Order: sequence, then C-alpha cells, then structure tokens
Amino acid sequence: MAVFKLKINGKSREVDVDPFTPLLWVLRDHVGLVGTKFGCGIAQCGACTVHVDGKAVRSCQMPVQLIGEGEVTTIEGLSEEGDHPVQKAWLEQDVPQCGYCQAGQIMSATALLKENPNPTDEEIETAMSGNICRCGTYTRIKRAIKSAAQNQNA
Amino acid sequence: MKTLETSSIGKAIDRIDGRLKVTGMAKYASEFPVENVVYAQGVTSTIAKGKITSIDVTEAEKQKGVIKVITYKNAEKLKESDEKRPAFTLTSVAPVLQSPEIHYYGQYVACVVAETFEQAQYACRLVKVTYEEDKPDIDLDKNRSKAFKPDDQADYSRGDVDAGMQSSDVTLEATYTTPIEHQHPMELHAAIVSWENGKVKTYASQQILNDAKTAIADTFMISEDNVQIIAAYLGGGFGSKLNVHKHLIMATMASKMIGRPVQITVTRQQMFTNTGMRQFDEQKMRLGANKKGELQALAHHTTSHCATDQMYYEACGNVSKMLYKTPNNAVTHRLIPLNLQVPNSMRAPGEATGSFALESAMDEMAWKLKMDPVEFRIKNDTQRDLGADKPFSSRLLVECLRIGADKFGWSERKMQPRANQNGNWLVGYGVSAASRRAPYRKTSARVIADMRNGEVYATIQMDGTDIGTGSYTIVAQTAAEYLGIPVKNINVELGDSDFPVTPGSGGSWGAASYANGVRVACKNLFSKLKQNAGVAEEDEVALEDLMKSSKVTSYKVVGTAEPSEEYENHSVFSFGANFAEVWVDKDTGMYRIKRMVNVGSAGKILNPKTAYSQIIGGLTMGAGMVIAEQTQVEPHHGNFITRSLADYHVPVNLDLANIDVVFLPEEDKIANEIGVKGIGELGITSVAASIANAIFNATGKRMRDLPITPEKLIEASLEAGV
Repeated sequence: MAVFKLKINGKSREVDVDPFTPLLWVLRDHVGLVGTKFGCGIAQCGACTVHVDGKAVRSCQMPVQLIGEGEVTTIEGLSEEGDHPVQKAWLEQDVPQCGYCQAGQIMSATALLKENPNPTDEEIETAMSGNICRCGTYTRIKRAIKSAAQNQNA
Repeated sequence: MKTLETSSIGKAIDRIDGRLKVTGMAKYASEFPVENVVYAQGVTSTIAKGKITSIDVTEAEKQKGVIKVITYKNAEKLKESDEKRPAFTLTSVAPVLQSPEIHYYGQYVACVVAETFEQAQYACRLVKVTYEEDKPDIDLDKNRSKAFKPDDQADYSRGDVDAGMQSSDVTLEATYTTPIEHQHPMELHAAIVSWENGKVKTYASQQILNDAKTAIADTFMISEDNVQIIAAYLGGGFGSKLNVHKHLIMATMASKMIGRPVQITVTRQQMFTNTGMRQFDEQKMRLGANKKGELQALAHHTTSHCATDQMYYEACGNVSKMLYKTPNNAVTHRLIPLNLQVPNSMRAPGEATGSFALESAMDEMAWKLKMDPVEFRIKNDTQRDLGADKPFSSRLLVECLRIGADKFGWSERKMQPRANQNGNWLVGYGVSAASRRAPYRKTSARVIADMRNGEVYATIQMDGTDIGTGSYTIVAQTAAEYLGIPVKNINVELGDSDFPVTPGSGGSWGAASYANGVRVACKNLFSKLKQNAGVAEEDEVALEDLMKSSKVTSYKVVGTAEPSEEYENHSVFSFGANFAEVWVDKDTGMYRIKRMVNVGSAGKILNPKTAYSQIIGGLTMGAGMVIAEQTQVEPHHGNFITRSLADYHVPVNLDLANIDVVFLPEEDKIANEIGVKGIGELGITSVAASIANAIFNATGKRMRDLPITPEKLIEASLEAGV
C-alpha cells in the first residue's frame, strides 16, 4: 500500500492503496465517485472513461501510480450544474437509455470536442468507437456531438 | 375551471431521468451505500459434466479478510424442482451449491465471502476443486438422436404442407442458422442483499420485481412478504435480467449464513456462463407458392439446445404461424439437451431469430418468382391471424411496407443482383417485415395527490422498472394526461417491489401495461375525490378545484388495469418494415450498412423521442446479429472461447450509419384503452433479414448462417440464376 495525493475534479484527495490499483477502483471504491462505471475491465468498452489532463483515459487500465500530478476529471466534475454543452446536447437528443455507458460516452465526446471542435461524421465514429453502448444509442450520439459542437462554437 | 397545460401523452418531452444519467447520478444496484457490507464472488467449474470429488477450502479460508467459503457441503438447503429438466420461467427457483453434480462449464461450485472484493476474488483462486469428469454433450450434430418436443405449444399445423408444396409452382427448402449470442447489458449483473430477522432486502438488477420476489421466496421457502427488491435503475437488461439467476441466490444465502449484507457482482467472464444467452437455432424452412405469388405452404422447423438440467426455448416458428396468408402451415420446435447453461430470453426471443429465417426465405421466394420482395409480401398479407384463428386488433404491415419503400427510394432497386456497382462496392437494397406480439398485462399503480402552495403535485408508485426504455417518462406523461397537471408536478417512483404490482419490463408489455395502470389509478383518484365532494361522476372538474372544494390536502389511491375481453379475442401485434442499403467490397467481402429506413406501427406513441430510441436500439442490436455477434463453444470441453468484450464483438459507433425512423399514426383501442403497443423489441425483428437480403441484392450470394462475416461472404457461391 502507498499513499497517493490525487487531484480529482479540482479537489485534492488522498488514498492509501496498492500502487497497481486501477484508477477506476480508486474513484468508485475509495473516493466514492460512482458515476464512472465498470464494464469490461480490459479497456474494451469505454464505460470507465475519465479525463487525465483533459485527455480521455480508460480508468480500468490506468494504475493509480501513473497518475502523478495529472488532473483527473470524472463525469461528476465535468460541469458544476450538469450543463456542459455535451451534457445539454445529450439531454436534448435523448441519447441516454439505460444510462450506464453514458458517463464514458460523454467523457470521450468532450475530450474529442476539446481537440477537434468541428468533427466530421468519420472523425466522430473513429473517436467514439471505443465506447460500447448496448442500448444502441450511436445514431443519437453522433447527432448530439454535432449539436454540441455547434452550440459550443456559436 | 382553469385549463392547465400539461406535457401529456404523445409529446416528445425530454426523458425525466435524463439529467441523472448525463451527470453520473443515476444509481445502479451495486452503488447503494450499505453499512457493514461484505463481498461475495463465485468460483466456477472447469469441467462441463461430472462430479466434484473434493473441495479443499483451507487455503482460501486462511486468507486475510475471508469470512466464509460456501460449497455444496455447507450450503443452506434450498428448494429444488422435482422435475428432471424443469422449464426456466420468470419465477423459477434458482438453487445453487446444492450438490456435487456438474452440468455445464462455468457452473458455480463455491462462493467466497470476504471483507473486500479483492480479498474475495483472490481467495476464489485458492479453492481447490477436483472432479470426476464425464464426457460432456456439446456438439449438437452428435446428439440429434436426443431431440425432444419441449411442450404442448411446440408444434402447430393447419392444412397439409406436403399437399400445398406439391400443388405449388415454385418451392424453396432452405436452412438458416443463428449462433449462441449473449445479451451483455453494459451493467454487470449485481446485487446487494441483506438477510435480517428472516427478511430479505436486496438492491438487484432485475427487470421484473414481482416475479423475482416469487423466485427468491420460493427458493428459500419463505413468504413473499419477507422479500423486498429495489431496482431504481438498470444498466440494460435485454432479457438477461428477466429471471433470477444463481448469483442473487448465492448472495442471499451468504447474507443469511454470515448475518451481514453481501454484495455480489458477476464478472463479465462469468456473464457468459451464468446469466443467460440466446440459444443456437437451426431453422428449416419450406415454402411453396403459385405463379401469382400466393403462398400455398409454409413450414418452419426449429432445432435448438437446452441445458441437461433445465429447459428453455425461443419459439422461432411462431412468426410463421401468423405473418402471412397461407392455407397450409406447420411449425415444430425440438430441443437437444447439451452440457451448456440454460438459455433464456434475449431481445425479441423467437421473433428476432425466427424473422431472420422467415424473411430471408420470403426474399428467396420473391427472387425465384421474379417478384418484387415488397409486392410479394403485400400479396400475402392477412388481416386475420390464421395461427391463433383470431382477427388482428390492427395490422398496418402493408402501409409500413409501402411508406417505407417510398421513403427509402425502393423503386431504384434493381432486381438483378450485382447490377448496382459503385467503384469497388457492390450496392444492395434489402427489405424485411417486422412483427412482435404486443401484450398487455394486469398492472397496478398508486397515485398520491398532494396540495402544496395551492398547486397539485402527484407521486406515482409502481413496482415496474425502467431498463432504459423510458418508463419513468411515459408514466409521468400518462399521469399528467389523466390528472390534468404538468409533468413537472409529477414524481415517479419505480423499481421497489413494495409498490403496487406490475408485469415489469420485458416482452414488450411494459409501456402498454404501465400506462394503463396509471390511467386507472388516476381515474380512481378523480372518482373518489368526486364522491367525497358530492360531485357527479360525469362532471368535469379540475383536480385542483376538486381538492380545494373538498378541503383535501393529500389523497392516496390504487388502481388496477386489466386486459379486456376484446383484447383476448384478438391477436395483438406491433408491425413494421425495415429497409437497408448495404455496400459490399467485391474483393474483401467487407461490408457497410449505409442507411436504414424503419417504419413502425405500434399503436399510440406515448413519446416519440423515447420511442425512436427504442427502435434504433433494436436496429443496432439486430445489426449486431448480422455483422458480428456470436459465442463460440469449444467442442470438446464445453467452455466458451469468447469470454470477454474483446472477443465477443458487438456493434460500435462506426458500424451504424443513417437510420430514419417513422411511426405510423395509430391508436389501437382494442389492444388497450390508451391504444399503445410495445416497441422495445419490434426494431430488432426486421434487421437481420433486411441486411442479409441487401447483401444478396448486392452480391448474388445467399447468406443463411449468422453472423455474415467477410470470409463467409467471399467463400459463398452465387445463387442459381444470378
């Protein structure tokens, strides 16, 4: 076990865990942020996506010891009021169905828009294909990302 | 009287639980904070058939944090079925760890309970099990002599299929196969269970709470009154969470034995062998038609597998009994017991796979008859369900086909395959009809009306669930409609088995049942308040005025809706049609679904926004049936080769292109008083055939074995006449 000082959603959090503990477990079990989900445990489904320094990371495969000074953002810290343009677009387009994968989808989408404010359909498909949604919301995800891009750039 | 604006039935309002789901605040089964909780994990068998000869738990028990290791030697005695191979139903008991017998690879053989999840998982690896291994029955072909008829409903016939075939001008005999598939909802099966003073309270990811309550109570031989299940949000179900699976019983047993709340999460790997699957189906079709394209005979024979110790079958042939007008019809279902876990329902069980076979065969017949596949279907339309010998409550299949064809641009389709090329791409158009039974079941709801600051607020309580379908939202809209108050004044509480009983979410009956239950509860509220206030039943008075005039500040009432006699006298189905454009690379066999147009007729659409989501969801999972999904079984030892989301491939964002969804305006008042029919499964029933048929139109190759992978496509030969 070792003590790690992490910056999560703008707050510093101290956890005493094994250095190889995946960030996802730290978030869910030690810090109590359960908005980020476990789906497969092998970085194949994207449900656990969070940001580390603004970049989308699969937290189930990210050992906590590699975070260092990195700033971690989870769905709970994406916006104070739940009104990030992507979250708003998600609501308007009725993207979420069961909702379980959506934290991961939203974190991937926001990271994409940060790097590429006007993604094409192909760029969206490429960036988002690591996030599985079993409810089949893909058509709506594409539309919501386009709509968020427009609103963000307006 | 003041008229209040409501966001009632039929409006495309945003999902009322949407905000919780975009902020990570919706709470799923394993996420409820429960004090003093410990963690259970299952140990699974590494043989498919045989007997445990010894289990050594000493190492496991010595580990830090380990509280108990449960095996068949020290487990609680549970209720077991008296039958040799009982049917797996929604209320089936789920005994676990009761004997040393092994029936399939991955069966639970022990349960470790520890202070932390990691400790439990580690100790699981230290449980040493030795077996006396028998040769398992895994291969369907080698066990055909064991095929049996599962129940009285398995076979059906009208007329004489052989005679019909003989009198036909054009005939077809073809076999279609679909692989084992897994539902894989994104949320793993999970539960937190407390057994306290003989009472069970569990947060569990279950689709039908009342049935799950029965299953748990029966398994532990306790009263149903002593079981409470809470499932506020489910991370998808797709049928896998309809039944009570053994992990929930294992965690309940653990809690009873150690006296502390127990959390269990089935791992993604264990979800391949322990939480249900769609079975492999082999469907033999025989069709005959006269020169005019009128079907003379249709036979649909399905062979599938069940477990050696439990039975389930998806009724693939049912669609062939009712979809087309044919005087001679025969349907059979046979099961072969194999050493695999018992299959269960996966989205549109029977219809998703059965429609693939029937609607592919219809396309093959149209090609043989040189008829347009849309016209061929229309020619064989029927307004009477000949299988059930009842009229349909409503059936707009022809309209779905015509409107879809028009919207899709079907007239551009060339009948001759390989005639539409774009560079290296062969372009094909395909169509399939969609149909899904739209049941409606007895449903109760409680409405609690409260006056606060001169306004009426209402809470609706039902034991129904929202598995992503939008139940919260349509319940709120229905209540708004019948109470005459805005949606924002309505609070919906679902997913608690202590609330009034509903049929739960599954089988496409949720929306119709929930909405009508709410309707009756709201009407009862008005009746009671009018009685109290001395107002005549037929007088129209706003709820607010009624409560004010009778000085009632809070009122609670339960209502129950039940199917009418008219419903029972009709065949009630939702219908639809799917049109697909597929591009196939002529050298590599790789293909893309370019666009789909889906037309549905499903009665009154309660909320076009959430309804659209249901259809695209079904279409996406249906696309998965064609492009990728299959569970591979190792033929000697019965383990699944596909054991993670890295090798069980499901559709991703890249796989689905443009989808247009159209709902025909309709109200089916025979189906129920609101006129609503289910749509959760309608979408998936038409996708696979429409894509396979488009691939035929593109390539001239008939693909009868799902999934259609590029290598199968390259190796396939051209159909005769192409």
